[in-house]
Amino acid sequence: MRLRFTFISSTVLDEKPLGKRISFILGKVKDGTILITDGVMKPDEEMALIKETMRKVDSGFPGIEVASLKKPTKGFQRLVEGMMDQSDKIKKLFSVLTGTKIRGSSLKTGMTLIGPAKYIKEIKKNPNSFSVLTEV
Amino acid sequence: MDFKNFLDWFYRFFGLKRNIRLGIYGETNVGKTTLANKISLDWTGEEVGKVSTIPHETRFVQKKEKVELKINKKKLTLNLLDMPGLATKIDYKDFLKYKISKRQAKKRAREATEGVIEAIKWLGNVDTVLAVMDSTRDPFTQVNITLLGNLEARKIPVIIVANKIDKKSAKPELIREAFPKYPVVEVSALKGKNIAELYKTIARYAK
Repeated sequence: MRLRFTFISSTVLDEKPLGKRISFILGKVKDGTILITDGVMKPDEEMALIKETMRKVDSGFPGIEVASLKKPTKGFQRLVEGMMDQSDKIKKLFSVLTGTKIRGSSLKTGMTLIGPAKYIKEIKKNPNSFSVLTEV
Repeated sequence: MDFKNFLDWFYRFFGLKRNIRLGIYGETNVGKTTLANKISLDWTGEEVGKVSTIPHETRFVQKKEKVELKINKKKLTLNLLDMPGLATKIDYKDFLKYKISKRQAKKRAREATEGVIEAIKWLGNVDTVLAVMDSTRDPFTQVNITLLGNLEARKIPVIIVANKIDKKSAKPELIREAFPKYPVVEVSALKGKNIAELYKTIARYAK
């Protein structure tokens, strides 16, 4: 048995609407891939991922393991992220006023690992790092 | 103004008293139902649900309405909502070691997945949350982080309950260290230890 690790740019995920992004992630993970991306989902998006995962659980797919590390933000970057958490209207207004291109989604700076629970036996996490134990 | 805020405003405007919907959330087997039973027994004399060592015993939201708490001079009326345990994985094979049939294990797993979905949906309908954590386990899990992040985003008051402090391996201080922003009450729901402090904290934060 082989285990595939895929490192994917957050830009690729960011361009997809949430529903398609979750389908993409779960499609890969169900195939046995461990996805690693340079972004962090918002809490409500992560809850949506858990909800969709539960809908897909069956005898061959027990679910997922997730670990993320969010890069602390400050100053202007925090302001921008705060605005990105708001409605689409605010995002568009901010984009028009500043000429900044705000991407369709809201993956924040950091790192996320999502993999099949079938193979990931343990994730040890602390605020600055996480380690993953797999068994194939 | 969303619907929940509108309702709050409506009740306040007409001087009406609204029951506080207290959601009891957390991972599986952290003692949510034991805690719900303890609260309910203390104030109504009745339990909320069945407790088991098998994970995902609570697979549907269990309710106990109009639980009246009197703490010092404050009166609160709660609707207790004991939620199914949150999880990112549910493997039917995990239930087989509790000597139940494969068919029953698969049924339990299917119901458990539905329970997680139901618990997540209820996040939009609770006023205050008790986030229960097992003091003998590592609290820094993605489920706990995601739960607290969602509650913060929704501006729902949350009290972390560091449960099972009666166990020798309990390290409730790790929960305080992991989540320093939140009020943490160390209890043993099973033995009733420090429950009075939890009631005082509920009276202070619940709204």
